[in-house]
Amino acid sequence: MLGALLYLRLVSLRNLVVQRVQRLRQPKYLVGTVVAVAYFYFILMHRNGPMGPATAIASQAGAGAGAIAAALTCGGLCLLALVRIAFAWIAPAENPGLRFSEPEIAFLFPAPMSRRALIHFRLLSSQLAILFTSVLIAVLFNRSGYVGGNRAIRAVGWWVILSTFDLHMNGTKLTLARLRETSSHFLLWRLAAVAAVVMYVLAIFRSAAALVTAYVSGPEASQASPGALVGELVDSPVFHWLTLPFRLVLAPYFASDMKAFALAIVPALLFLALHYYWVCSSQAHFEEGSIALAEKRSAAKAAALRGESPRIGTARPKALPGPFPLAPLGPPEVAFLWKNLLSMRSSLFGRRSLMIVVMLMVWAGAALGPLLAGHARSSGSDPFSPLIVAFSLMIAIYTVLLGPQIARQDLRGDLANADILKTYPVEGWRIALGELLAPTCILSLVLWIAIVAAAAAIDPTGRIAWLTHGVRLTAGLCAASAAPVLCLIQLIVPNTAMVLFPGWYQASRTRGGGIELVGQRLIFSVVQLVFALLVTVPAAGAAILVIFSSQWILGVGPAIALATLAVVAIMASEAVVGVWWLGERFERFDLSEENR
Amino acid sequence: MILPPGRAGRNVVRMIEVQELAKRYGAFSAVRDLSFGVRPGEVLGLVGPNGAGKTTTLRCLAGIIPMTSGRVSIAGHDLGEDPVGAKRQLAFFADEPRLFEYLTVRQHLSFVARIYGVANHEALATPLLEELELAEKADLLPGELSRGMKQKLVIACGLLHSPSVMFFDEPLTGLDPLGIRRMKDSIIRRARAGAAIVLSSHLLHLLEEVCTNVLILKKGEKVADGTLAEVSARFSNGETGVSLEEIFIRATGGSES
Repeated sequence: MLGALLYLRLVSLRNLVVQRVQRLRQPKYLVGTVVAVAYFYFILMHRNGPMGPATAIASQAGAGAGAIAAALTCGGLCLLALVRIAFAWIAPAENPGLRFSEPEIAFLFPAPMSRRALIHFRLLSSQLAILFTSVLIAVLFNRSGYVGGNRAIRAVGWWVILSTFDLHMNGTKLTLARLRETSSHFLLWRLAAVAAVVMYVLAIFRSAAALVTAYVSGPEASQASPGALVGELVDSPVFHWLTLPFRLVLAPYFASDMKAFALAIVPALLFLALHYYWVCSSQAHFEEGSIALAEKRSAAKAAALRGESPRIGTARPKALPGPFPLAPLGPPEVAFLWKNLLSMRSSLFGRRSLMIVVMLMVWAGAALGPLLAGHARSSGSDPFSPLIVAFSLMIAIYTVLLGPQIARQDLRGDLANADILKTYPVEGWRIALGELLAPTCILSLVLWIAIVAAAAAIDPTGRIAWLTHGVRLTAGLCAASAAPVLCLIQLIVPNTAMVLFPGWYQASRTRGGGIELVGQRLIFSVVQLVFALLVTVPAAGAAILVIFSSQWILGVGPAIALATLAVVAIMASEAVVGVWWLGERFERFDLSEENR
Repeated sequence: MILPPGRAGRNVVRMIEVQELAKRYGAFSAVRDLSFGVRPGEVLGLVGPNGAGKTTTLRCLAGIIPMTSGRVSIAGHDLGEDPVGAKRQLAFFADEPRLFEYLTVRQHLSFVARIYGVANHEALATPLLEELELAEKADLLPGELSRGMKQKLVIACGLLHSPSVMFFDEPLTGLDPLGIRRMKDSIIRRARAGAAIVLSSHLLHLLEEVCTNVLILKKGEKVADGTLAEVSARFSNGETGVSLEEIFIRATGGSES
């Protein structure tokens, strides 16, 4: 039986490779492949090439920091795994099941196969992907010069990590499915699991927080190195035992030589075998859950290909009241804003996404709170202000550059309904503007929050003489007034890309599509960045010119206000041209032409 | 067939006027030199083998895709020169119900009302929802509706602005027998109310029951058009009782384009 399953997997893999090679005849895939290969070649050469002076210095410094980096990486991986496992127990799927594709379900579930054989098929499928991923990561991200070891150790290390994690997640799903079908107290089981996870996490954070607080407030704070803190943290009894399962799995990856690897791999393999036994001995009926999961994945894939926005989590959309009352008469652009805000709210406020936000906030508070408070006590300064300013700037930059790729409730989200939109008695530019309004509002809101936070937090002690309250307020208001136009311009880029190259756009939304799609995504990102520079450089140049030429006469505040007028005027002109052109292109847009 | 052919009379102004319509994709001609007209109260059935250009024609007529050459007039508005005016008069119903995932039935109607500027949409929507048996589902999302219900919602959205021209692309796809009956009745009712309707379908019995006129396409070109009686007479070779299926096979040469 397993031979047939292996045949299915290997033949499918061979045909996939052949298909991928054949489609390189299309320029969009060929160009994507060339860019991606060039990118990975650069990464490999950059990381594994001969050492220059700067690299050599960094390497010497890195020798001391290697242990810290390893411990931090280990901690990060533990945290990620912990969050994922906790989620599986706290918010399980309604009907837990193993991951099978719809054709696999259609052919294998009615076939004369035992449930255990199906589980083995599932594990076998995972193994092919895990082996490929392990080798790829080990080749691409070789860090043997960091704390020792070599690529083979890294590859096997990754294989152990990914295989154990895969088995654990499958075991969890099967256990949950079993509990759901046999126990009438499934809710109690879940509550118990939640309580256990919460206690576990709290114990880890209390241990970490106590050590960090002791470190930053203790008399030896100035002498002790961060490495010592990390080492102490990892070696503390509570932390040691609580993270033992994770460290057991991670140990082979972090082995510095073959001897250390040999010592680490045996317990890791035993742990892996234990997981395998757990999964294979499960007697759960996973079929219904697997079918539901396959349908959900298939629907998500189809939605992505249709151009609909991905939804965080798996909760079904719920009917919500409109964001504001929509009068039957008035500019049609407002109707698009109303519609897209409605869809944005539905997609953002899923149960799981809220849980992710809450958990991240709890984690950030637990991790950073004691550290910052301790630092404030020891140094006597306000550590929050620079942090808030830096964080706000980072959020602002990410919002401008990456926000348009995330907030897709515009033409991109309506790709499937393009035909319907084009039957509306509305000019193309008005449809384009209306579609762009919702993400513009959302991104502008994020930018405004960042601007207010930065303006309030910068220089709280008043050391910068010219940064008076008036200048601060003026600069904040000016930045806020330019933000919506900037967001609108940035959103025109991906929407234009979608209208001009719908095939590329659709292909770039397909997950797991191969190296050529990596290249296509890279091209899109670079174009977005270049366009951002092109549209902001003239406006920024004009602003600098106006400020420097007028501040001597008008003063700093009025000069900034005048410069803002110039900036908004330039960018608004760019936006008008962009929206009009996008509308024109949308009126001529024909997806069927692309598919021919 | 329920409607008398050419009921509105030959001298009535055509609601749909198509002259030498052509649509090319690069070197490939999807539609060539297509001319026809539809008067108020007429239902024109667009038939042809797969790839004959039926959907492309309908999409051009609805202003979804630009035609390469030719002229289309909808209720007196030139689609090329006054697309907004033309689109105010028409409704297009695709074969697959395309709906906004996050808008309820009622919210769909509010959105469409704003787009078309229907001031009294609530007064219009209530009887429309009642007629289409959607009143109890007004607060549901499309994901919670059956395919038939989705189709009905699409129709409700399309009818809200009282269009005088309607295009149906394979209107019976995926409907159950009851849904098919209701769809046919709905098309006939709208035609009786004075709408000019064009529909494409492979289901020839639908055309016999619903259409007053028929236009046969093959490889993007018009093979024949006229009333059902006229087209039958042309391809029956003097035989009597020749079915539309037989006429279709004779007209198209019995093969795909």
